[in-house]
Amino acid sequence: MNKRVKPVYLEDKLEEIRADGHQEYRSKSLPTWCPGCGYFSMAEGLTFALKRLGIDYKDVVVVSGIGCASRFPFFVNTYGFHTLHGRVLPVATGVKIGNDDLTVVAVGGDGDAFAIGGGHIPHAARRNVNLTYLVFDNGIYGLTKGQTSPTSALGFKTSSTPYENGDVPLNPLMMLLSYGASWVGQAYAGHQHHLADMITQAMSHQGFSFLRILSPCVTFDKTNNTYSNLNMRVRDLPEDHDSSNVLAAMAEASRNDHPALGLYFKEDRPTLGQVMDATIQRSLSSHGDKGPGQTKAK
Amino acid sequence: MMMAKTGTDIQIAICGSAGDGTIASGDIMKRAAAAMGFNVIAFDVYPPEIRGFGKCISRIRISTKQTYSLKQESDVLISLNDGHAIPHVGEVRDFGAVIYDDSLGSQVAEGGHISAHISPAQIPYGFGVRQISELATNSARSRNIVVLGYAAGLFNLPSDGFHEIIRSKFATKAQIVIDSNIKAFDAGLQVGQAVFKLDDVEVGSDSKETNGAEAVMMTGNGAVARGFMEAGIESYFGYPITPATSIMERLAVDMPPTGGKFLQTEDEISAIAATIGAGFTGSRAATATSGPGLALMAEMVGLGVMAEVPVVIAVSQRGGPSTGLPTKTEQSDLNLAVFGGSGDAQRIVLAPTNVEGCYRCAGMAFDIAETYQTPVILLIDLYLSNRYETVIPAKENTFAPKPRKKVSVKKGEAFKRFEMTENFISPRAVPGEAGLMHTATGLEHNELGRPNDAVHMDMSIKRHEKLKSAVHFPGLNVSKRFGDKGPVDVGILGWGSTFGEILETMYQAQAEGISCSAMKVVMLSPLPLQSLQEFFADCREILVPELNYEGQFANLICGALEKPVTRLSRATGTPMEVQEILAEVRRLSGQDPAQIQIAGAEGAQT
Ligand SMILES: Cc1ncc(C[n+]2csc(CCOP(=O)(O)OP(=O)(O)O)c2C)c(N)n1
Ligand code: SF4
Ligand SMILES: [Mg+2]
Repeated sequence: MNKRVKPVYLEDKLEEIRADGHQEYRSKSLPTWCPGCGYFSMAEGLTFALKRLGIDYKDVVVVSGIGCASRFPFFVNTYGFHTLHGRVLPVATGVKIGNDDLTVVAVGGDGDAFAIGGGHIPHAARRNVNLTYLVFDNGIYGLTKGQTSPTSALGFKTSSTPYENGDVPLNPLMMLLSYGASWVGQAYAGHQHHLADMITQAMSHQGFSFLRILSPCVTFDKTNNTYSNLNMRVRDLPEDHDSSNVLAAMAEASRNDHPALGLYFKEDRPTLGQVMDATIQRSLSSHGDKGPGQTKAK
Repeated sequence: MMMAKTGTDIQIAICGSAGDGTIASGDIMKRAAAAMGFNVIAFDVYPPEIRGFGKCISRIRISTKQTYSLKQESDVLISLNDGHAIPHVGEVRDFGAVIYDDSLGSQVAEGGHISAHISPAQIPYGFGVRQISELATNSARSRNIVVLGYAAGLFNLPSDGFHEIIRSKFATKAQIVIDSNIKAFDAGLQVGQAVFKLDDVEVGSDSKETNGAEAVMMTGNGAVARGFMEAGIESYFGYPITPATSIMERLAVDMPPTGGKFLQTEDEISAIAATIGAGFTGSRAATATSGPGLALMAEMVGLGVMAEVPVVIAVSQRGGPSTGLPTKTEQSDLNLAVFGGSGDAQRIVLAPTNVEGCYRCAGMAFDIAETYQTPVILLIDLYLSNRYETVIPAKENTFAPKPRKKVSVKKGEAFKRFEMTENFISPRAVPGEAGLMHTATGLEHNELGRPNDAVHMDMSIKRHEKLKSAVHFPGLNVSKRFGDKGPVDVGILGWGSTFGEILETMYQAQAEGISCSAMKVVMLSPLPLQSLQEFFADCREILVPELNYEGQFANLICGALEKPVTRLSRATGTPMEVQEILAEVRRLSGQDPAQIQIAGAEGAQT
């Protein structure tokens, strides 16, 4: 899997977009990402997955926060909701509860996810909201032009850490595993086919699936998460990795220096939608407490 | 069925500590009175602590006439704890009754007993509450029910109604609990029936039935929840906060049996975010909170405005800023509700003035939100949330959802979700509809929904202009004038829970011969400018009473009309009092005080 990847240019991309057969998934808006940005692979991966799974794009809602990654809904021809910085998960939860028949994909960057939106992740995970959360982790704030993020490496010089970043980076996979996410995986923007396959798997999962995608910001990070660095560092999960074993998954996730790609953990348990349906059933069979606030006079 | 005697208008205050069953006793009293066909307004005050022995006071106004607020003076005070009740003896009117325990065991140090504080003009009704409780039930714990029976006896109220309410209140408890409470009630009743009666506060059967069988007693919060339910609410997301929590708790019980989705979220940001997410899919979605929660929601309200998503946000105000006075009432989140958030983000704000209004506004809020494709804030306060009033719900449910107009586009044409139409309201589609895919965004966007800065002015016009017709929304009285028509000396302009006291004041002032009228403003955004202008043109002086320090409503009105008003703004955590508004009205009327014929403490006959 560790083959070298050529940088991606916008012109080539456009050629490809025109040539490929799944253009109907694309909207008429052209991506505003910098040429070579890892995010092009997400558009690629998601359209591939939708096609593979045969999901009608009228039934898909792509919800995003704010950031470069979060621009995604504009570039795909499904329903989209580009919301607020950090709030992608609660909005996506509402979309799924509002209409359980929809396929919901939540998209955001690392700042959107782990800084401002960090408080929402445990709750979407533990509730097992049936949606796919794609976090494009470039270890930097792209849209605001290059400040440090919660996953920036120690010592990284950014515009907000001109004398080096001194904050220990978060380990997103460890977080999600301990939050009780029922599907946790990792992919890399430089390995496009694998990424597309992982998105497909994540979307086929019944429950909350979290896919972290390592993705270079070619404009504001020339030293850390570059294609050449990541190409050298990433590895595959061992063939014998047991994805039903959360401790084994954590052991692999703890090796931050050599991020492993693949499915870390998967478990089947009731989704939020199913839990709510069960609540509705229980409420019908019990009379329920009268509760406060209102009494019949007669 | 018991018939209410015409002309009855009594207010009973029951005061004790949290452990005395004060609120429970008041609850039975108001439910029984409502079942007898009286108009009931009631408001409980209790300490913020969950346990402990803080002071509780339950005030219940029982009347055959239409009333708008509690009376400033009570006709009866019942003490379950003299230490707490003594400061309230003064609120009992002359020739009113003070009911208290004079059992031997309750004798305390000099001055500690309530009997020493009763004025000669008040009538003491001491009896052996504790002894009677112990005799009837082997326990002093039924004192709250004994005094209830005593009051019922004093007023010649029939016991059946009380028995029924006691049974239903303790329905989940063991039979012995029900039996002993009924025993305690009857024991109190016997004593109460035997004592001499107050002449002018008697309640009894009469030929005329008042508002009769359909009346339902509910709190403002209960009315909001009921309005939501009748409107067919499908999704609710909320985070507990006083005084809005009981809306959430009611819906947690009532929604699931109708297939509704209810979720307690991790905070208010996620509550409003999920509400907006659900609203985006076409689900009837709502949340409820108080000021601190609304502050957290402000950014999301802006998203709802920008992305044109219909949602309903019920907000019950408490004292602020910050954590403020969690269990006290205040009207100080008007600025936040009307303006809160970044940018020019006009939304619709409805502020009902009584419990019935809570029910109607909550019921209509979804229709309004869907019509104008924008967040609707329902702004009430603790005094309205927690007070009980008898309400006659609509016979037919008019709040149920109407089918959304289906839109279509020609093949090959892009759907203009934010199209500039004549009335600035755009066609709306929701996920799942073929051919109408679009992306909603908080970024400024063109008619297609694509990010675009150049159209900012046009789109700002769209978002503001589309709301203008909301003041004419069918079936909704966004403002209403009461009292004298045509030119008057004093106009009282009010909003929210304070309007009850304003109306009582206005009728008293009229009875004193002051030329005055009152106007309530229910829609705070957009403002009903035309009715306001007409009111201003008719009134020589305008008085704006409200429960906050800065005079937020007065500021709003003055900003919109550029006309001076007299402010009566105060932040004490307690409801406005009729007497203080009346004093201002008298002053502004400019009439010679000697000429004003002061009506009795009873108030005006309306
Ligand atoms: C409430 C709020 N605070 C700050 C911002 C500014 N802001 C926009 S995107 C962003 C960070 C983006 O970083 P990340 O989430 O990692 O996404 P990327 O651009 O790297 O894809 C910030 C701070 C905002 N839009 N809203
Ligand atoms: S700034 Fe970085 S993350 Fe944003 S589009 Fe450009 S390369 Fe991608
Ligand atoms: Mg980033």
